Amino acid sequence: MGASAEQIARWRARNPRAFGRPPLERAAFWAAGLLFAAWLLWVFRLFDITPQRIWNGLSGLGTIVVLMIPPSPGELWLDILQGLAESVAMAFLGTFLAAVVAVPLGFLGARNMVLNGLARFSLRRLFDGFRGVDSLIWALAYVRAVGLGPLAGVLAIFTADVAVLAKLYAEAIENAEKKQVEGVTAAGGSRSLAIRFGVLPQVLPVMLAQALYFLESNTRSAAILGVVGAGGIGLQIAERIRVRHWDEVAFIIILMVLTVSLIDWISGRIRRRLIGGAEGRVR
Amino acid sequence: MLDIRSLSRRFGAVTAVDRVTLAVPAGQMVGIIGRSGAGKSTLLRMINRLTEPSEGRIFYAGREVTALSGKALRDWRTDCAMIFQQFNLVQRLDVLTNVLIGRLNHRPGPFGTLSSLFKRFTAAERAMALEALARLDLADQALQRADTLSGGQQQRVAIARAMLQEPKILLADEPIASLDPRNSRVVMDALRMVNRQDGITVLCNLHHLDTARAYCDRIVAMQSGRVVFDGPPEELTPSRVQEIYGVSEEEFEEQAAAEAPLRRAAAAA
Repeated sequence: MGASAEQIARWRARNPRAFGRPPLERAAFWAAGLLFAAWLLWVFRLFDITPQRIWNGLSGLGTIVVLMIPPSPGELWLDILQGLAESVAMAFLGTFLAAVVAVPLGFLGARNMVLNGLARFSLRRLFDGFRGVDSLIWALAYVRAVGLGPLAGVLAIFTADVAVLAKLYAEAIENAEKKQVEGVTAAGGSRSLAIRFGVLPQVLPVMLAQALYFLESNTRSAAILGVVGAGGIGLQIAERIRVRHWDEVAFIIILMVLTVSLIDWISGRIRRRLIGGAEGRVR
Repeated sequence: MLDIRSLSRRFGAVTAVDRVTLAVPAGQMVGIIGRSGAGKSTLLRMINRLTEPSEGRIFYAGREVTALSGKALRDWRTDCAMIFQQFNLVQRLDVLTNVLIGRLNHRPGPFGTLSSLFKRFTAAERAMALEALARLDLADQALQRADTLSGGQQQRVAIARAMLQEPKILLADEPIASLDPRNSRVVMDALRMVNRQDGITVLCNLHHLDTARAYCDRIVAMQSGRVVFDGPPEELTPSRVQEIYGVSEEEFEEQAAAEAPLRRAAAAA
């Protein structure tokens, strides 16, 4: 087959875009690329990011790794276990409360539900505001407000996640299929019953899956919250880093990795079991 | 000359294709008919090695196709293009790029691969793709995304992609089963055009006997993995169909159409 020069010229005249972007567009594309590259270089200079500094940092990191071997529980290993349990409990409580409170908020924020436009819009923007602040910042605030300890951590996780979960729930509700709701309405169901039987069975598995993902990620964040005094294992780590007991830090890190993977595993099993199952049995 | 010798394929306890022997001379248009589950798809997929045979061998021009691997196997797949019931286009790419996919194995060496990864096709290749699209009456759709096209148009894009492979054989696995009658005719006409004008051998799975009779030089009928009829269309009379399948032609086509979704569900499970 192949194409002759004459064919190429004919097609190029008939459909120039099939042979690539027009010159102006291509120039704009390259200009944008160059601009981005220049910005990157400038930021590297501004932050003084040089290969030399990274290299030196790596060797510093190497020293720490050497100090970590062999990991050791130290003398206060009971404190470590207690801190870890506290972190897991904080993550669970915070996520659980956020997941529950987010359900009504999600329904209020969904476009296909009852609430009027203005109220929904303000609620959505409020969610956005809460989402813009990380749980660590909330923890700093709550430590001042309710004092040191796990309560501040639970509240921080709750506040940071309730808005995100509400938004995700609202989106799941908006994506729910209308036909199933119509089926309930056609059978004479009221608005609230249509939501209960038409929407909820569709979105509940999605909500549960998202809450479980948040539990996994919050187990990790709960470890950090302790650093600012909001309870949990973080405090133990911070103290040991300050006195350079890297072998004990390594021990805690290993325990944390094990805990997180255990929670990953359990939540994965729950997700598979519950989401496959039917909610429809008549009790 | 495509030479299939005693080819079998078993899936667990089920024998999908059972000792099929078939010789197809170059340039022939062959229609393979049978109920769904008769082994038509498995047979075609074994020819370009998307499915591995359990037993038997395939030869083409003296070369053993069933022994190929690596680059030689990819070259063989380029030589025997395939089109599918569900078109198998990349939905989010434009039509032109979908067609140019047919050129991928014609761009040798690391540089060819690299320029393919960056979608850098030459002007000659683009003109060739547009030429192929124009032959199938789709030149104006070249820059649309594939998923904006109707089923009939998508299948023609798939044929254009196959043409860019510059194949010797074209395998068509139920090419019109998802199309309405008008689009079916357009697609079958296109298949016959590439068969007649370009001399490409066409093997086409069908379950409409009338379509097979109207378009093919030769009809191969299959029943539970075996070839039960092989001859010119004139010989496949309604009484012969009744004799082979034990049902009338209308009932046969009804069954072929009705069973298709069931089989897909079973294949997915």
